[in-house]
Amino acid sequence: MKKVVFAIIFILILSTSLVKNSTKEIEDRIFMVNENIRPLNLELGDMLLEYNYLSSPDKLTQYQNKYFEKDLIKIDITKIKKLTKKNNHIKVSDFIEKTRDD
Amino acid sequence: MINKKNNVFLEEYENKFLYKKSKTNLNIEFNRIAFIFFIFLVISIIYSIQLLHLGSLKIQDDIKPLITKKNYRADIIDRNGNYLVKTVSSIDIGINPIEVIDKKKLLINLQLIFPNKNFNKVSKKLEKNKFFYLEKKITANNYEKIMMLGDKSIKSEEKLTRIYPQKNLFSHIIGQIDDDNNGISGLEKSFDDKLKQINEPLKLTVDTDIQFLIREVLIKFQLIFKNIGSTAILMDVNNGNILSMVSLPDFNLNERNTITDLNYINRATKGVYELGSVFKTFTIAAGIDAGLIKPETEFLDLERKLICGKSTITEYDNKILSDLTVENILIKSGNIGSVRIGQMLGIKGLKSFLEKIGVLNKIDFDIEEVGQPIPFKWGKCKLATVSFGHGITTTPLQLAKAYGIISNGGFDINPTLIKNKKENNKKRLIKKNTSEAINKILRKIVVEGTGKLANVNGYEVGGKTGTANKSVKGGYSKKKINTFSSIFPTSNPKFVLVVLMEETQISPDYIYEYRDGSEFKLKGSPRNTAGWTSVEVAGKIIEKIGPILATKYIEN
Repeated sequence: MKKVVFAIIFILILSTSLVKNSTKEIEDRIFMVNENIRPLNLELGDMLLEYNYLSSPDKLTQYQNKYFEKDLIKIDITKIKKLTKKNNHIKVSDFIEKTRDD
Repeated sequence: MINKKNNVFLEEYENKFLYKKSKTNLNIEFNRIAFIFFIFLVISIIYSIQLLHLGSLKIQDDIKPLITKKNYRADIIDRNGNYLVKTVSSIDIGINPIEVIDKKKLLINLQLIFPNKNFNKVSKKLEKNKFFYLEKKITANNYEKIMMLGDKSIKSEEKLTRIYPQKNLFSHIIGQIDDDNNGISGLEKSFDDKLKQINEPLKLTVDTDIQFLIREVLIKFQLIFKNIGSTAILMDVNNGNILSMVSLPDFNLNERNTITDLNYINRATKGVYELGSVFKTFTIAAGIDAGLIKPETEFLDLERKLICGKSTITEYDNKILSDLTVENILIKSGNIGSVRIGQMLGIKGLKSFLEKIGVLNKIDFDIEEVGQPIPFKWGKCKLATVSFGHGITTTPLQLAKAYGIISNGGFDINPTLIKNKKENNKKRLIKKNTSEAINKILRKIVVEGTGKLANVNGYEVGGKTGTANKSVKGGYSKKKINTFSSIFPTSNPKFVLVVLMEETQISPDYIYEYRDGSEFKLKGSPRNTAGWTSVEVAGKIIEKIGPILATKYIEN
């Protein structure tokens, strides 16, 4: 009886050790990946900041004035069309439905 | 002799050996298998402990190289993920003159790197033999060049700095921080603790593109109407999300100036104004909600003048009819008619309605710069003046909230700048039919009343104008506060837009283009009223932002 108990304990310890060992390897890899992601995140943040600055409406307006002769035009919402695909057919309709007083 | 030989003597054998326990008390029961198991157990335990120790290694938060817990501050982004504020590390370059070997050579080299810098000053500083900063926040390219010089006297210092890529655009919303990384105004102050703790950026409800377009229009018209300041708030009427909140004048957050001029207050939240006729909407909504009146209810033989105590109440427009329906009282902005409805409601009725829609008391908002509506004593005369929006003050933000509640079907909303804030269950404050009735009247005001210049084709704009004289101690000045509170589209309101302009002046050169399809143009403002100033501005704003709102927000 004693031998059986000892054997079970031994198997349990051995299996726990094996599982823990493999877990540790995975955790090590996760740790490494996270450590590699950190500088990439910082770089991404800086790039996004640069992108946000260069593509900010203020900057785009400056570029527009500098490089294009024509002014930006206002979009008349009544002239915007809506495309809807149904059964391989594209239906073109007004983006907004005209109201009575429009 | 023989006998002696044959004699066998038998002697009882007495075994003197006796197994006894050791007297040393050291009793080891030796079991080989158990011993092997025991050794295995000990080894396994030691191995497990070691594994547990190795396995418990985690990424520590404080490994971050430069951003320590002391100076860490989370970034702030708009609803589309664009950076509004970002903490970045920057490099400052200083020079210790004592360590300079060849001053002339150093100056020539530095001049090549910073050609626009005044090196006479630098030369003088070098003579003083005291450490000084040559350039702050230098670019990576210049940093590389300066380090290539290999001069020991050049010292680089890495610092954390808060960058505001949108410059002035969100100055009043975001606010400023001091040198010790503590927020001193705006969201930087009210979310100070949170910004120091959270690892994710703080996401706002505002849209950078819309904010830019609205600000552009306000700046343009500030030059036309020469107003000292203005504000515009664009809010989603269904959840209170603020898409844009501009207050002019504003300031560049990157410059970190100390603002002392009172004209730089956040007019949207901190400015407390007497807003005039925009309050008539509340009086009429209260009357309809209480079941006292209907839009078609007629008021006959309305007086031209009412005297209450020391004040005389008259109509702004002398041509106004004396027989008016409730609808026409609001469309024509009748003062006397509004007073009559206010009197029907009584102090209790009107006061409770105004409290319900949140214009009487200080609003609980995401930033601390919030104005307190000036408290007053209710009385018969006060009831009369409050009915048409005089003698009562509130902030533009509260005005936007009130119009939002009235137009969204009567549900309570809390204006917010923070995205994904937990929403409470929608609580109905006013009846659905009251909301529908008011929306229809507001639309008529824009189609045939004082809001015609904001009748942008395709958006079903509705709204109410408010022209008020600026109150000063003991009375009123001639300076104007022109407000237009609008909602759109009126058939199913999505947005409320409040435009307020302070101390506007008539523009003799501005050309108005009528929006009634006649293509009529009018040069010069006929009057210094909301209808000719803030309505025109609101129209221009809606015209610009409308396509974005319609395609980006309403569709979704």
